[in-house]
Amino acid sequence: MAWRQVAGLLLVVAVCNIASAGKRTLVLVDNWSIRESHSIFFRNLRDAGFELTFKTADDAGLALIKYGEFLYDNLVIFSPSVEEFGGNVDVPAITNFIDGGGNVLVAASSDIGDPLRELATECGVEFDEEKTAVIDHLNYDVSDQGKHTLIVADPANLIDAPMIVGKKGKSPFLFRGVGMVSDPENPLVLNILRASSTAYSHNPVEKIEEFPHAVGTNTLLIGALQARNNARVVFVGSLDFFSDEFFQSPVQNANKGDRFPVSGNQELALNLARWVFHQKGVLRVGKVSHHLKGEKEPGPAYIINQDIDYSIEIEELVNGEWRPFEGSDVQLEFVRIDPFIRTTLKRKDGKFYTSFTLPDVYGVFQFRVDYNRVGYTHLFSTTQVSVWPLQHTQYERFIPSAYPYYASAFSMMAGVVLLSFVFLHFREEPKEKKE
Amino acid sequence: MWNPGGWKSLLTFIVLALAWLAGFSSRLFAVIRFESIIHEFDPWFNYRSTHYMVERGFYNFLNWFDERAWYPLGRIVGGTVYPGLMVTSGAIHWVLHALNIPLHIRDICVFLAPIFSGMTALAVYFFTKEIWSQGAGLFAACFIAIVPGYISRSVAGSYDNEGIAIFALMFTYYLWIKAVKTGQVYWGICTALSYFYMVSAWGGYVFIINLIPLHVFVLLLMGRFSQRIFTAYTSFYIVGLILSMQVPFVGFQPIRTSEHMAAAGVFALLNAYAFLRYMQTFLSKAEFRYFFILAVAIAAGAVFLAVVVLTWAGYIAPWSGRYYSLWDTGYAKIHIPIIASVSEHQPTTWVSFFFDLHILICAFPAGVWYCIKNINDERVFVVLYAIFASYFAGVMVRLMLTLTPVVCVLAAIAFSKTFEIYLKDDTPKSQQKNSEEGSESRNDRLYDKVGKTKKVKEDKPKEEEGLGMNIKSIIVIALLMMLMLFAVHCTWVTSSAYSSPSIVLASYGQGGSRTILDDFREAYYWLRQNTDDKARVMSWWDYGYQIAGMGNRTTLVDNNTWNNSHIALVGKAMSSNESAAYEIMRMLDVDYVLVIFGGVIGYSGDDINKFLWMVRIAEGEHPKDIRESDYFTPQGEFRVDSSGSSTLLNCLMYKLSYYRFGQLQLDFRSPAGFDRTRGVEIGNKNFDLTHLEEAYTTEHWLVRIYRVKDLSNRQMVIKPKKPVKRPKRKSSKKVKRAGTIKQKPKIIKGKKSTAKKSTK
Repeated sequence: MAWRQVAGLLLVVAVCNIASAGKRTLVLVDNWSIRESHSIFFRNLRDAGFELTFKTADDAGLALIKYGEFLYDNLVIFSPSVEEFGGNVDVPAITNFIDGGGNVLVAASSDIGDPLRELATECGVEFDEEKTAVIDHLNYDVSDQGKHTLIVADPANLIDAPMIVGKKGKSPFLFRGVGMVSDPENPLVLNILRASSTAYSHNPVEKIEEFPHAVGTNTLLIGALQARNNARVVFVGSLDFFSDEFFQSPVQNANKGDRFPVSGNQELALNLARWVFHQKGVLRVGKVSHHLKGEKEPGPAYIINQDIDYSIEIEELVNGEWRPFEGSDVQLEFVRIDPFIRTTLKRKDGKFYTSFTLPDVYGVFQFRVDYNRVGYTHLFSTTQVSVWPLQHTQYERFIPSAYPYYASAFSMMAGVVLLSFVFLHFREEPKEKKE
Repeated sequence: MWNPGGWKSLLTFIVLALAWLAGFSSRLFAVIRFESIIHEFDPWFNYRSTHYMVERGFYNFLNWFDERAWYPLGRIVGGTVYPGLMVTSGAIHWVLHALNIPLHIRDICVFLAPIFSGMTALAVYFFTKEIWSQGAGLFAACFIAIVPGYISRSVAGSYDNEGIAIFALMFTYYLWIKAVKTGQVYWGICTALSYFYMVSAWGGYVFIINLIPLHVFVLLLMGRFSQRIFTAYTSFYIVGLILSMQVPFVGFQPIRTSEHMAAAGVFALLNAYAFLRYMQTFLSKAEFRYFFILAVAIAAGAVFLAVVVLTWAGYIAPWSGRYYSLWDTGYAKIHIPIIASVSEHQPTTWVSFFFDLHILICAFPAGVWYCIKNINDERVFVVLYAIFASYFAGVMVRLMLTLTPVVCVLAAIAFSKTFEIYLKDDTPKSQQKNSEEGSESRNDRLYDKVGKTKKVKEDKPKEEEGLGMNIKSIIVIALLMMLMLFAVHCTWVTSSAYSSPSIVLASYGQGGSRTILDDFREAYYWLRQNTDDKARVMSWWDYGYQIAGMGNRTTLVDNNTWNNSHIALVGKAMSSNESAAYEIMRMLDVDYVLVIFGGVIGYSGDDINKFLWMVRIAEGEHPKDIRESDYFTPQGEFRVDSSGSSTLLNCLMYKLSYYRFGQLQLDFRSPAGFDRTRGVEIGNKNFDLTHLEEAYTTEHWLVRIYRVKDLSNRQMVIKPKKPVKRPKRKSSKKVKRAGTIKQKPKIIKGKKSTAKKSTK
């Protein structure tokens, strides 16, 4: 009985885990007032189904991991000025959390402390130093205080990836905070929102004596990392970006143009949050099957030049459910060091399939589907098969060019028979032997 | 009652049986000292494929495509192997199991070569008997049974093609001599069958198919053409040709490559010659002489021209690199470093002639001289064999093996002849062989045999009278002493030089105590137990067969060096720096890297010492990326200490060999990181590996295995423009501590709390 109970309990726990998978979210704040000043954003998150746990960043009981298990799936760091995290959390703990598959949303501000800068560096993004801000003397909001740090970001500078940022609206975004730069060589970092070409990053009250950290469109306002284990991290240079004030305030570029009744911040923030916390753009591979044309199961190996069928199931997470993926550009490669065959897969209710003739080359090959699109998780599936040369029974028999040899063999046989007949029945005159 | 013939055959039988026994037992040193184990490199592949064949049957073996070798190219084993060895041991295994003797295939493989050495002794006996006399034959059988030049390839556990091929070689030659002597088609066909066995067993069959035509050709030149030779050669050549083409690995080579063209040319020439001889019967003598010379010249010219034209047109493949290197010893070093890199392809030193053959090499020219002096058809053959084999043995160490039998034969002739002269009893009725109960088998054999040979040759009296009894006995005793020294030398060489399995090393302490270094098997066993079944292991090609045989893991390159560019790719990875190597390893899906490192115990056959060959082979294929000169110091030295070149000190092979070695201090007299093999303190001690991590290092650091890491999950900013000043955190993780926030609103908090208190 005890066994049953334990098993039942485990089942319940497991079910709970599945239900809450990807939902447990820890929010670290500088002070509790952020809960109030950013209430719309947090409410949006709650509506999207996330369980939020609020803690101050210096809480002595802070922990991300307990007994080797992660306590949270997602982490929101809304505490830009933290100098040292409390409890067991530090930068290595957070990177470990990312490497373990956790997602992180980081909002900084001009008061940025060292840990956040270090965390960004670990993720391939570099924040400018404390007390600096993104300054744009041409694109600032009318409500700016005179330092031109409340800048108006044009939606045209947004990354062209609807999966991450949603549909592009017209309303510009309000931004006040620190800038970033990213390494253009880094394939994992996405530049989600750039500043306009007239922006730069510097301390607004100091004289510019050296070249600013970031200039023009190199200045990154929002950057993201999708790690190789598909964990996502978003860095936003401005904590105010998520504030109720910015969500609701009207926008007007002081130097030009229209007045928008409300900024685009709220929509972008929600889209970003849903993307970073794996509610969108998540793919997974289902069953992969390959076999000879007309058969059901693969044999131990294939033989060169055989016709084979290949199919792979790909699913996408849509509103918390796994649905058949609807892409049309999934490609298959048949690789032995280099691809020998590269073909686009056809789709039929979530199953991608193709059939092709194996190359006339033997060796150890891999069926490789490497689907890497901005906004989606990296989908990689590889299946190793051997392609053998012809077996000794499979070579062609009776090839035309061999007929002369067959003929000669048989004529030879006939000749031997004839000759031996003559030899046996022909009496020669006795003759002296040579040797 | 007295039946000399009966005694003679009984004695012959006993001598041969003892030779077999002596040959068999002297090859067992390795088994007694270590265990019944397969040796070295190639035998591991032979064993693995034999095992495969025994388990899955011959046809599966024939079609075997080994996907665990040469990843990702794979290797067609059935078509790239001489199956004679596997079939032989498979057949023995089958027969034994049919007789309900459940012997494991490994034991058959281990003991196959010693058993075949006895059969070689028999074949050599018959060969020498045909060439010279029965007494010389017994000498030759005893010599070949224990001569180190042959033992080197046939100790127990050395399960290689040569073990059975030397038997097939000598047996083919015996049958050929028999065919030449009798002129019967029967013996010609037997020669062809034996030749077929040889073709299926060893690539050295090319030696036969060139030597026999050469014999025929020289006989033609000497005017010794006869109907016997014609019958023998034509029947041998045609049947042998067709049979040899049945071996999948050989295939169409006998009619498509230059190595085999001499045989075809001689066949054509012989037929033309025979035809002209036939024509002779119709023509007058004067006519014929003129006609004959012209026609022979035309025939020879036509054959030669045909071969040249066919080669030029591409129907016949030109000579392969290995054969060029036989004629031009510097060829391989320049054009094919992979051939030159094998130690057994190096030219032979004079020392090793004496080491491998001892007194026989001195008696051998005397044998040649006796043969030339009493020349006949078959002695022409043995002289040609001697000349060519000595040339080839001088070019390549491994061809010492083909020289050894003929040296034994000719030395036996020389000894037999000498003893015949000096043991000849002037008094016809002297004591018969009573010395049979002598202590050492060799010595009684000598006495008995000579007694017999004298009897055989009694009808040809020699004019060697006049030597006193004393001088004769002194010379005989001196010769016997030499033979005894030969026996001692053979045993010593076998025991000290040729009986090491090389996968288990033994070292001797000062008190004679023996330490076994079993690092190789330790590492391979680790691979077998701790890695994924499909894991790919990259190593230099020397260890490919062993990883496959003992570790049962996929290898990239192995000792079957059929694809030079793949080996060059591995060489390039080993000689590049870590990040360049990582790209190559990612491309080849490498999971583990295995290197052999001897610096801790002073093992000289390690990868650093082989490293220059890796560089050379890599340079041959990738001259832009790898240059040999980069790995030398400006003075042109190859050194791993601090004055070594920086390319060398940062390449993958260096790093994998010396990773963490700088922290190891072996004894108090030497500094940390002191390499015992090179005798220097290494130059680059403190480095970390970024793309690899150490997975396993054996007890004596002989084998080191590294795991290739995946791409990093994140990519850091390598050189931040404004680096974070990292504060030194002193607090340990266990203590729960509060963090700090710059703008911690203490004022607000204070106000709130005071406000609360005040309201309360």
